[in-house]
Amino acid sequence: MAAIGFVVALACLILQTSGVLAEIRSGSDFLSPELRRQQADETRNPGFFWVEQGRELFTRKPAGEGQACIGCHAQPQQSLRSAATRYPQIDAAAGRLLNLEGRIEQCRVERQGQPAFGYETPELLSLTAYLASLSRGLPMQVRTDGPAQPFYEAGKAFFERRQGQLNLSCQQCHDGLVGQKLRGDTISHGAGTGYPAYRLEWNDVGSLHRRLRACSLGVRATQFEAGGPEYLALELYLASRATGLPVETPAMRR
Amino acid sequence: MSFNARITVPAQAKAGEIVEIRVLTRHPMDRGGQSDGKGGTVPRKILNRLTATYAGEPIFRFDMHTGVSANPFVSFTTRAVETGDIVFEWREDGGATYTRTARLTVT
Amino acid sequence: MSSAISPRSARNDRGIHRRSLLAGTAAGLVATGLALPAFADTPPDLAGLVARVTEGAVPERARIRLEIPALAENGNSVDTRIVVDSPMTEADHVRWIHLIAEKNPFPDMARFHLGPRAGRAEVATTLRIAQSQKVVALASLSDGRFVMTDADIVVTLSACIDGG
Repeated sequence: MAAIGFVVALACLILQTSGVLAEIRSGSDFLSPELRRQQADETRNPGFFWVEQGRELFTRKPAGEGQACIGCHAQPQQSLRSAATRYPQIDAAAGRLLNLEGRIEQCRVERQGQPAFGYETPELLSLTAYLASLSRGLPMQVRTDGPAQPFYEAGKAFFERRQGQLNLSCQQCHDGLVGQKLRGDTISHGAGTGYPAYRLEWNDVGSLHRRLRACSLGVRATQFEAGGPEYLALELYLASRATGLPVETPAMRR
Repeated sequence: MSFNARITVPAQAKAGEIVEIRVLTRHPMDRGGQSDGKGGTVPRKILNRLTATYAGEPIFRFDMHTGVSANPFVSFTTRAVETGDIVFEWREDGGATYTRTARLTVT
Repeated sequence: MSSAISPRSARNDRGIHRRSLLAGTAAGLVATGLALPAFADTPPDLAGLVARVTEGAVPERARIRLEIPALAENGNSVDTRIVVDSPMTEADHVRWIHLIAEKNPFPDMARFHLGPRAGRAEVATTLRIAQSQKVVALASLSDGRFVMTDADIVVTLSACIDGG
């Protein structure tokens, strides 16, 4: 029933697509004033539990020889302030595109000698939320030139390509129908600046890639692997669209 | 870390003043009933009670059923009577309990 | 635009008809002296849920306010505040406040126990509301009486449900 409602609602909206590109606005702009207030209030926003857990993990010494994150990144409030605004970014040594989750896993495996946490594990979500929270309020500023350019182009192509049984591109809704209602939701620009975010739908904090998997399911398209190349490239493109928007992690979303 | 709590009380209060206490709790509040993949169902596991004790007696009790959200918030009021700890105790299905305290300074 | 979400609005329309029908039934019971004033505009099943909590006593529709959004963004977490007009003294205070959602799988949602030391009868929490329905707040007073109020809430579905 929910699925049929979604398709009908979407079909009606698509008929009025205008395709005008406006200034990109944060996902928070599309929340109710009540939920926005709750997001800003540390006594109300459950996402701060994940931030707190991440802060704790950051200082905890792992088993074996490795040292805690804080052993290298002393005074993270200063040393890692604004770090999240530059992700995803190219890892110079490997020539790979890494998002914040990927960078944390890389540190954990290569420098701490620990097994990777795995995408969407509470530990990785917490550390990501903590590091992103150190950039709260600072503007996104990812690089899309040089070695990042092919990834940016791939992400842009993903955004613009029609996909799935509904034969829809991201762009058709998230540029063309922004501000319109899709069932209980208001269509946003698809800025990922609040993730990892506490989503009411999940009753939990989740990653941007988990959210993207829900988008793919929504248009009956292939759901790609969280942390895989498709969503990484898309994340870079979304981040570049959101240039100048403040990091809001841990945001609250419907 | 399936349980955690964020308790907010005023930094200080005058004797007799009515203060608001806000409690945000990290807990999945699992309603149960889902398949456990082995032919059975997952049992309910929620926090079913929160008790707050201050200056020698319980001042508030919150009985929770499945109609209370995951990661629940609750707020209530109490009259500041003396400097001391407000002790919060949660009871979870299955019998586990969790305790936290918050200091209220009364001037 | 409203036609874009017609499957849902159609359901709501039926819901309203059903509710007015039930209200009519309740009114009929009043006429025959079977229902009591506070229940007159409450569907019978909800009245039964209330009566079970009050052990048959009839709550007065006064002194209690239920602040809950008319339209919930997501039923998983609905901000709710209840305020009872009470001096909160030894002689006259609220003993508890009980919340009922008639169409939840378990209609009894929560109960707040208060006492004179609360100073004010004012509590808030986040509720799970399974679907569009009527929510009741019911308070037990120290003199043995009950007060109640209710509010209609529309629960919308998030567009992108991923089952997570």
